[in-house]
Amino acid sequence: MTLNHYLVLSAILLGIGLLGVLTRRNIIVVLFSIEILFNAANLNFIAFWRFGPNPEALMGPMFALFAIAVAAAEVAVGLALVIAVYRHFKTVDLEKLDTLREP
Amino acid sequence: MNVMLYSMEIAMVLSGLGILMLDLGTPARGKRDLGYLAAFLMSLLLLQSVFMPEVQDGFSLLSSGHSITEGPGYKLDAFARYFKHLFLLAAILVLLMAVDFAGTLRARLAEFFALVLFALTGMSAAASATNFITLFVSIELITVSFYVLTSFQRGQMRSLEAGVKYLILGAAASAVLVYGIALVYGATGSMEFAALGKACPSAEHDHLLRLGLLLVIAGLGFKIAAFPFQIWVPDVYQGAPAPVTAFLAVGSKAAGFALLMRLCHHLRPDLRELTLTVLAALAGATILYGSLCALRQRNLKRLFGYAGIASAGYLLLGLLALNAQPGASPSGAQGCHAMMFYLAGYLIAVMAAFTVLCHLDGEDEDLSVLAGLHARSPLLATVLTLSVVSMAGLPPLMGFLGKFLLLQSAFEVLSPHPAQLWLMVVALGGVVISLYYYFGILRAIYWGGGISPGRPAGESEAITVPPLARLLLIACGLILLWVGIFPQALLEWLGDAVALFR
Repeated sequence: MTLNHYLVLSAILLGIGLLGVLTRRNIIVVLFSIEILFNAANLNFIAFWRFGPNPEALMGPMFALFAIAVAAAEVAVGLALVIAVYRHFKTVDLEKLDTLREP
Repeated sequence: MNVMLYSMEIAMVLSGLGILMLDLGTPARGKRDLGYLAAFLMSLLLLQSVFMPEVQDGFSLLSSGHSITEGPGYKLDAFARYFKHLFLLAAILVLLMAVDFAGTLRARLAEFFALVLFALTGMSAAASATNFITLFVSIELITVSFYVLTSFQRGQMRSLEAGVKYLILGAAASAVLVYGIALVYGATGSMEFAALGKACPSAEHDHLLRLGLLLVIAGLGFKIAAFPFQIWVPDVYQGAPAPVTAFLAVGSKAAGFALLMRLCHHLRPDLRELTLTVLAALAGATILYGSLCALRQRNLKRLFGYAGIASAGYLLLGLLALNAQPGASPSGAQGCHAMMFYLAGYLIAVMAAFTVLCHLDGEDEDLSVLAGLHARSPLLATVLTLSVVSMAGLPPLMGFLGKFLLLQSAFEVLSPHPAQLWLMVVALGGVVISLYYYFGILRAIYWGGGISPGRPAGESEAITVPPLARLLLIACGLILLWVGIFPQALLEWLGDAVALFR
């Protein structure tokens, strides 16, 4: 396995995540896709650190840890919002949320 | 490492936690006072930072023997201090606005105040960021706080909907930002902004760096609402509670620009050529899109949203000057000077306008709620007029000089490339278009009788404004006028703050 393998895998994950965010209408599936996006970036950090010039400096894994924590916070807020939305709209379909739009 | 370096952020977080603790023992009718308490604490912090900045230095002198202004990924220089002052001022005004708005908020007030303080902490840290870790964490602290603030009126569908839209687009933008940072890290092997100034080991690394940099600019472009990343703005601005919209328009945007300024400052010459082209295209598209879409809006918050997109475009013009080649005639300092002056004027004008908006009745914020405002409350009408005229950039108000300085700095940077003069045509066209939509607001205030059939103008009773809000509105109006006529004092103060970019 070389650095390029990891980069290609991460690029594929990025593509899957973006596709999910742009095309899926279920909010929960969209939140999944965002997690995939974050993990694509995290994979890059670890790969660059492992194959980088100085693996002694733990910059890559450290940033990945920060990113995991932040993604968890984002999903926590996201799921709370999904529940609140479900109570009012009785749906988790993004297309049905259309009270705000161009006049 | 010296803890006193971070004293402002620590004080903000502790105030926020303190508000949450006090909330437990406060009876329901005393909750509003927590907002006054938070605003009071932040005012103390602002006064300390403006008039006694040496307090922090003093502590670091005591503990380490010499004055420390730098920590890992963090720098407390005049530039950071200026932005921290702006954010503190914005937060104080937002907190006071929220106290008056409390009746409409109908939710747990203490949490609202605490979240405003947490978002403020993120902005304050962003002003000092010198590496990508601080950049990411501070940006996320701002955004996650704003997800909750935006959807705070949980009983209202539009607030929830705005929250969901902001969350999904914001999280996707954050992920793109992280991906970009990963590529930059891979290319330079370092998290510091300063590493962007060094040459890469190979051509492959260089391509990686360029791609990463573009993704980082895209991620930050979402926060400042630059053109292809602005889709969230109108919906979120319309759905969020008015104080949150004001804070979002001023704080979140200024934090994004502070980070971009630091980032661009460190770029090496060949990267500057790339960013200059990209930012010029973004600026032109942003101004054009914001101005044209604002023309047909009738909802006030939506209108301010599109106007905010257009002003992000003007601020990007100032950022262009920072990307001029080193040694060029207009140094980066000139562009920064213009951006920081414009942001100060924009802050006052937006805060004044939204404070007025909080005191209007009518849930839908249609332009027609302004009908007959000059008869119902001359004060609100006058302050709204001043703020709108300032945003439109007419002399002698603060907004005029800000816009003028931005256009001037961009014009001087672009003058060697005649092909890019189209950007100036677009910018000037945007100014002219903005006159039309801003004067739509003035028309609604003074000549807007009879637009809403249910409530003809003049028959409505007078609006009473609480004394503190009245004082703030008068102060905002006077500042817009005073600094607009006598800008020297602020410009000289800014001279120190931009010394970094000379």
